[in-house]
Amino acid sequence: METSETLFVQHFNDESRPLEYYLRKMSGYTAVKKALAMQQDDIISEMKKSNMRGRGGAGFPTGMKWGFIPKQASKPKYLVCNADESEPGTFKDRDIMRYTPHLLIEGMVIGGYAIGANHGYIYIRGEYTREAKLLDQAIEEAYDAGYLGNNIKGSGFNFELTVHRGAGAYICGEETALLNSLEGKRGEPRVKPPFPAQAGAFGGPTIVNNVETLAAVPFIINRGGDWFSKLGKLEKSGGTRLFCVSGHVKKPGVYELNAGSVTLRQLIYDHCHGILGDKKLKAVIPGGSSAPVLTADEIDVIADIEPLMKIGTMLGSAAILVVSEDYCVVKLLERITRFYAHESCGQCTPCREGCKWMEDIIERIEHGHGREEDLAMLLDISNNIAGKTLCALGDAAAGPVMSFVKKFRADFEAHIRGGKCPNA
Amino acid sequence: MPKCIIDGREVEFTPGQNLIEVAKSAGIDIPLFCYHPGLSVVAQCRMCAVEIEKMPKLQTACSTVATEGMVVKTKSQKTAENQKSVMEFLLANHPLDCPICDKSGECDLQDNSFKHGSAYSRYTEERRTYLDLDMGPVIKKNMNRCIHCTRCIRFGNEIADFREMVALRRGNNTEITTIDGRPLETDYAGNYADICPTGSLTIKDFRFKKRVWFLNKTATVCEGCSKGCNMEIHQENNQIYRCVPRENKEINQYWLCDEGRFNFHYVEREDRLVDPALSKISGLEVCDWGAAIDLAKETLAEKKVALLLGSDLTQEEVSTALQFWSVQSPGGPVFHFGTNGVASSRDDAPEDRILKRKSKTSNLNGLEKLGISGFKKLPADVTAVLVIRGGRAVLPQEIDGVEMVGLGVFMKDQAMMFSVILPGLSFAEKDGTIVNYEGREQRIQRALQAPGQAKPLSEILMMWANRKSSHGAA
Repeated sequence: METSETLFVQHFNDESRPLEYYLRKMSGYTAVKKALAMQQDDIISEMKKSNMRGRGGAGFPTGMKWGFIPKQASKPKYLVCNADESEPGTFKDRDIMRYTPHLLIEGMVIGGYAIGANHGYIYIRGEYTREAKLLDQAIEEAYDAGYLGNNIKGSGFNFELTVHRGAGAYICGEETALLNSLEGKRGEPRVKPPFPAQAGAFGGPTIVNNVETLAAVPFIINRGGDWFSKLGKLEKSGGTRLFCVSGHVKKPGVYELNAGSVTLRQLIYDHCHGILGDKKLKAVIPGGSSAPVLTADEIDVIADIEPLMKIGTMLGSAAILVVSEDYCVVKLLERITRFYAHESCGQCTPCREGCKWMEDIIERIEHGHGREEDLAMLLDISNNIAGKTLCALGDAAAGPVMSFVKKFRADFEAHIRGGKCPNA
Repeated sequence: MPKCIIDGREVEFTPGQNLIEVAKSAGIDIPLFCYHPGLSVVAQCRMCAVEIEKMPKLQTACSTVATEGMVVKTKSQKTAENQKSVMEFLLANHPLDCPICDKSGECDLQDNSFKHGSAYSRYTEERRTYLDLDMGPVIKKNMNRCIHCTRCIRFGNEIADFREMVALRRGNNTEITTIDGRPLETDYAGNYADICPTGSLTIKDFRFKKRVWFLNKTATVCEGCSKGCNMEIHQENNQIYRCVPRENKEINQYWLCDEGRFNFHYVEREDRLVDPALSKISGLEVCDWGAAIDLAKETLAEKKVALLLGSDLTQEEVSTALQFWSVQSPGGPVFHFGTNGVASSRDDAPEDRILKRKSKTSNLNGLEKLGISGFKKLPADVTAVLVIRGGRAVLPQEIDGVEMVGLGVFMKDQAMMFSVILPGLSFAEKDGTIVNYEGREQRIQRALQAPGQAKPLSEILMMWANRKSSHGAA
């Protein structure tokens, strides 16, 4: 087991929160000084070199995203930090905001400067009451020290930063629903195009980035895109990754590892010390609950964007959910599907009607009222949702159903034939 | 013009046009629910998704702008499968109550289900149900039939300028309703029912009165104000059941105000005089045409008579009346009337930001074009008045102490101020031309037979001119 320097995790304790620690121990706000002396395009090209892939779930190259912002715009531009962190199993952004809030703030000032935005928002999920407070405190410190506000450190660049609390809807983690919510509207995804980079918050060109993505920006600026890129062990995937491991492992938690340096097996058995009670592994969901599930013999795969995509699943927000042999996968799917049905915004037909339908069927199966034709119907319904909805929530709901039914068909059939849950 | 290819055909388009509109221009109908050309695009129902070459996923035609060389397939297997699946989703919770639903026969959901859906449902779970909501005097809501297309919400926000329809809760439990279940307040509520693609929002005034496939439709123009909104009269067996807006992008787009929509009711009121009548101290007395015309002549004989023309008359009617007048009473004063406080088109102005105008008659501009001036007060020497009106012009209150003959559409309570009533036709019973506030000439068309003994103006004036009075001359 290789241990290397971590960017974030080594600072994940209460002492590192104040500005004073950040300045002293983390070369705090040196990156912003460096960045403000750079050309905006040079910052963006540094980001491109870094091979930073968005940490929210989609893995879109951050530098390329920033490059989409038009140079000239009739409306103000905005930088929005997506701190909604609502994909079940994900809890890394919470730690960043809780322990190293200044990393995020500094990253946002640099990002704002790079895209020409003078106002940033941190859209934080409603349940993160404590983190919202801590962020506000840190922002106040940054204002007092002149790292936020007008004419930051004499550069002539102005940047305001506002924390906006969500009200607890999963869908508000979808970037356009987030922007609607931010504007005080109903949290529903928008039709794309236009993409936020053309018309986002309040109609202005907007970049929406995840917390971890923005918090890595100061490192990239200070130590260079090439250095960051080389932290990743695979092509086109730079930096370290914060893995959120939860479920039936002995040591769940946030693990920071170089991107592409570790397989799921190593993560579960080496870093997390194996399955609780030394039971057998049943299933792994590798990227938050919306990622298609993997069976126990599919875990010798590098836990990174491309390798997981190759085997039909995704790294998503790097939330690894581990399931041991004595947990009923039908019950697990019932719970997952209920979540997505509950969180569907209800705008578009397949998601509004289909998610609830799937939930009802899976609930029936789990409670012993399944029918032979249910499994084929589940696959059909999920196929009718996947790729056919307004936003990605439909895919998020359909992916688990397809993969669970295909990979654990025997468990479902046992429920249907036995007329009850065998694990109950 | 740039071209794209839809279903193998080369189709020209204007840059910026979406695929639904481009396809429509080539006669290709893409099935849809949430898209409405007068409202913003939300791409929610997913029914209009089509296959586009070089794109891995289906794209909603409403939100996709045509580009040069784009190859679109609206009838491919993938497209048809999606349509079938969207229909299945929409019908999962939709009641099978077409036989008792008022929308049946003109329902987008029904039509698309027939064309693109399956006759069998696989859905066996418990259905989602909601309570009905009385949304005020115009609309009744049956939420169970709603397919969440949000056209009503967008109509309120974008057209009626009145944010009163909203989506409550979310996901499968989303309810489309008014804020706090309050009654609708907009003056344009009828449009909510027009644009509803299912029987969720229906018009109280119309529901359960007639199956829509029995209705005969006549394209005409509303007479409710000087805007000249295009509409259709729907009647069967000489009875109007409703009026609905007719698309005219240059005047009313797709909309109609409630005042105009429900204006037709007076045509069929029981107290409308459809027979010639004399008013006596004992009350109205129905008589034959001969006696009525005799009395009319007698009333006006030997007097200085003014002609008052309602600005709800057609150009043809006014011309006929003027011709008649030039013979009967050469040089006699002529005025038009219609709306209190709107004596000329200079007083006419928009009443709201949508369609309504202050002049509550349709042809004010037309009468002015024919050189008639607005009524202010009677010249001092006038001792009798001949009033000719349709059913809409309001008689000025300043007329007092003169003998009056009424020709046109009158209700019983209005009739007592006249010596005699010669029953004429309403806007629904005649053809003619009217000129709206901006000078646009439009045709109104006859939808109904004349009721009772009512006659066209030209016929009445002909009788008048040709009849030898039993008392001699007039």
